[in-house]
Amino acid sequence: MELPASPKHPPQPYMNPYLAGIGIGVALLAAFVLVGRGLGASGAFNSTIAWLVSSVAPDYAHGNRFLAGYLDGDHPLKSWLVFEVAGVFAGALLSGLLAHRAALVVERGPRISVAGRLVLAFIGGVLMAFGAAFARGCTSGQALTGGSLLNLGSWVFMLSVFGGAYAVAWLVRRQWR
Amino acid sequence: MMAPLAKLGYFGDEVGLVIAFAIGIGFGFFLERAGFGSAKKLVAQFYLRDLAVFKVMFSAIVTAMLGVTYLAWAGVLDLSLVYLVPTYWVAQLVGGLVLGVGFVVGGYCPGTSIASTATGRIDGMVYVLGFAFGTLGFAVASPVLDGLLGAGELGPTTLPDALGAPRGVVVFLVVVLAVVGFAGASWIEHKLAARDAVAPK
Amino acid sequence: MSSWAANLTLNHKLGLVALALGGVAVLSRVAPERTLTLNAKELLTRIERQDDHVTPAELATWIIEGRTDYRLIDIRDAAAFAAYHIPTAEHVPLSEVADGGLARTDKLVLYGDGGIHAAQAQIVLGGMGYRRVYTLREGLDAWKDEVLYPSGPEHPDAEHAARFERAVRVARFFGGQPRAATPAGTSAPAAPVAAPEPVPPPPVSTPALPAGGVFGAPPAKKKEGC
Repeated sequence: MELPASPKHPPQPYMNPYLAGIGIGVALLAAFVLVGRGLGASGAFNSTIAWLVSSVAPDYAHGNRFLAGYLDGDHPLKSWLVFEVAGVFAGALLSGLLAHRAALVVERGPRISVAGRLVLAFIGGVLMAFGAAFARGCTSGQALTGGSLLNLGSWVFMLSVFGGAYAVAWLVRRQWR
Repeated sequence: MMAPLAKLGYFGDEVGLVIAFAIGIGFGFFLERAGFGSAKKLVAQFYLRDLAVFKVMFSAIVTAMLGVTYLAWAGVLDLSLVYLVPTYWVAQLVGGLVLGVGFVVGGYCPGTSIASTATGRIDGMVYVLGFAFGTLGFAVASPVLDGLLGAGELGPTTLPDALGAPRGVVVFLVVVLAVVGFAGASWIEHKLAARDAVAPK
Repeated sequence: MSSWAANLTLNHKLGLVALALGGVAVLSRVAPERTLTLNAKELLTRIERQDDHVTPAELATWIIEGRTDYRLIDIRDAAAFAAYHIPTAEHVPLSEVADGGLARTDKLVLYGDGGIHAAQAQIVLGGMGYRRVYTLREGLDAWKDEVLYPSGPEHPDAEHAARFERAVRVARFFGGQPRAATPAGTSAPAAPVAAPEPVPPPPVSTPALPAGGVFGAPPAKKKEGC
């Protein structure tokens, strides 16, 4: 880890992954029991983009079937996922501060420059946006939510994600190792 | 049946949004606890050095899956009222592959990118920008992509439906798969850690 | 044996708990029982009070006004629905009404060809805890009779004339037309028509709604995806 650790407050070690997973599972279960739906993330991006586009080009936004789907009902930002993702931000911030892990850094391996890493981060984001749109969700929505509900498409998705990532990992190893 | 509470009229949309925020806090908290605000920690999964992604993901899935199963069995949760995203298996297969590639290139998934941004990772913030940009690009391109987007449409389908097996059996098999996977993951990590110690990469 | 158990780490214990819960889960059943709970007195009183109907005229007004606080449900089969359905109606065949597509919190207006099936569905839903279910009184038969093809007295007074005028406008809005007025006081059908005047077949396609279109598709449901 390249986190700058101050002598007084070194970053704490990570939590037992199984316990963290159980914590997330409980949050997911709460969502099922309270509101009858699961978690997600990419949908919040879709709502936000739909809102932004409709603010500058409302006719185009409403004419585009993909965007229009996020514009029916009241304000697009008044969406369950947008609020949930805002919570994710807050929760992660809280945990990071408590564990002294919050720091303004660029995560990267030893063999790549900051600029190179940032370019790849951007490209990765673009790719995943397309992937998530086709899959109707990302790892939070499809893998976690759909996986726990035994959704067929979600399991297909999950296996493909691992497959695609492992297939390409060796090619981009310079970024990380 | 008492749950899902919202769908049975216990509270309305506004309270639902507050709940969304609260649940999001829980989700984000544990994501960061597990170290998923860090791209290096996440990506280590795909170099078989640190399989925390697999462990966290499947622990969460098993927890929620068992919870749902027992609550539905007890008659507390009406599973038919819990939203199941329809299956488009071809589109989701392609989407998954692309997402997987994006994962090792970008270093995050959308949820963890938020966690990473919250803890100050600049690469996480740039990833968020990329994802937003990509979403816009997809929206513009969507009329052309319509065919692939709807490919493999099967409607809401579960594994028990598809396998023709009783749901309880599938639940048990998933648990077994996960536990065996966890054992295997630990084994792989130890093996490769030992190898790295002898011949550091 | 006890030393083995004592050497178990937390992770091992978690794994064993998961396997145990998973094993027991093999026996689980998750499909909710569709049993009904009915209070006889309450139900009979409701039926007698007749306050769980919607008249065709009321429904027509709601549609014209573009109200979206309710869902109009056509409980007939697919072929009938395809041939004609009241604009804005959603198709949920009678046998699927209890399957979960209708939320207990929705305000529902059910209709069939007559009034019977809708009333029976209303009782079933009521037994499942639905409290906001209404039926279109006498169903499509009444819709055709009162909204699509209204008829009025041959020599109406001012009030009746105005009312009929409005009924005609509503009829045309929905693609129907007024029927010829029946001659007052005639007890025998006028020759050469021996049978009652046949009702013209309903329009096949749902009529286009006014440009000022107050509403669009069925009430906007928030996307629930991820």
